[in-house]
Amino acid sequence: MAEEPQSVLQLPTSIAAGGEGLTDVSPETTTPEPPSSAAVSPGTEEPAGDTKKKIDILLKAVGVTPIMKTKKWAVERTRTIQGLIDFIKKFLKLVASEQLFIYVNQSFAPSPDQEVGTLYECFGSDGKLVLHYCKSQAWG
Amino acid sequence: MTDDKDVLRDVWFGRIPTCFTLYQDEITEREAEPYYGKDSSVSFNVVSSLPSMMLYTLEWNRILLLLPRVSYLTLVTDKVKKHFQKVMRQEDISEIWFEYEGTPLKWHYPIGLLFDLLASSSALPWNITVHFKSFPEKDLLHCPSKDAIEAHFMSCMKEADALKHKSQVINEMQKKDHKQLWMGLQNDRFDQFWAINRKLMEYPAEENGFRYIPFRIYQTTTERPFIQKLFRPVAADGQLHTLGDLLKEVCPSAIDPEDGEKKNQVMIHGIEPMLETPLQWLSEHLSYPDNFLHISIIPQPTD
Repeated sequence: MAEEPQSVLQLPTSIAAGGEGLTDVSPETTTPEPPSSAAVSPGTEEPAGDTKKKIDILLKAVGVTPIMKTKKWAVERTRTIQGLIDFIKKFLKLVASEQLFIYVNQSFAPSPDQEVGTLYECFGSDGKLVLHYCKSQAWG
Repeated sequence: MTDDKDVLRDVWFGRIPTCFTLYQDEITEREAEPYYGKDSSVSFNVVSSLPSMMLYTLEWNRILLLLPRVSYLTLVTDKVKKHFQKVMRQEDISEIWFEYEGTPLKWHYPIGLLFDLLASSSALPWNITVHFKSFPEKDLLHCPSKDAIEAHFMSCMKEADALKHKSQVINEMQKKDHKQLWMGLQNDRFDQFWAINRKLMEYPAEENGFRYIPFRIYQTTTERPFIQKLFRPVAADGQLHTLGDLLKEVCPSAIDPEDGEKKNQVMIHGIEPMLETPLQWLSEHLSYPDNFLHISIIPQPTD
């Protein structure tokens, strides 16, 4: 899939907001509620009420996979899962040949050409999309 | 209802007559010599006699095949691959890919969806060009093996059940049930598939339908790959939402003005269901095996 350069992904939301600490996120339940359309995450530039061009993603490592230092990212809606995979691999300094799997709801691995905006619409909760990443297949 | 079960069978056994032609520039061997017969006249050789997958070899670079609407290109074209590979040099062969009128065909989209979206207004057979070189990395996913198709299919099913049942039904199934769903699709076994799939079509007695309806709406006229959103089959007052309700909410441009000309076709499995059809019924009966309603919005053909 054609992907833009990695620099399109924005700074971590915590840095943009001027703070260093990340909000501790309680473990996500596996029953997502529809995202509130008025929700604005810290660090985004768009005013409340506009359709956000970026959505908030929380990345969680599974198993022995290295943990991202920065877990919360504001990502363009049209970015694909493959684009996200490439970014995480680069961030974690993984070799190109190493595999990385991304899961939604700890249950399914979306297609690499799937847009994160669509996943956020359907599976986001509390204003963000939680994605689990793993170097091996975690949930089949 | 007997009628409703007939719908399930009609959907499963839908076929599209397709003509596969090897891309001109890739023909590297046997150029002067037709593969069948001494002259270049058309000869119909029945290579396989499976009732649902009759394969006719028209010429050495062309094959006619009945494709199952509910399956995937790379799952049902082994014979196409094997046949064409016989007429090419080994070193010229890399991953097979398919194209229709210049558009690379995504193998991970169901065949029926690809046809409805891209070719339904053209005359049959569906003319697909086969390539073994210059894989279009920007447009297509690689399909390294049958396992990749299975993984993709199962992931779609899991996503659908996440919407319908918060994943409860599919997660309660054993691994062998998941395997049976895949084997049913792969081997074209309606009963084998539906023995398990029927559980995914149930909902609690106190509800009137699924939690949300798994659907994707495709249009060739927009940039986005498809529209997929949360949409409930039942309104707050208990009324069943219809196909028209869904379109009005998530794709209003697809609905033609009442007294205006019909500009669009809303197509599923090659038919245009009435917009008054309850979405819950459509989800139970007209979903693809992955449990999604794949809906094409195409311009009304001008005859």
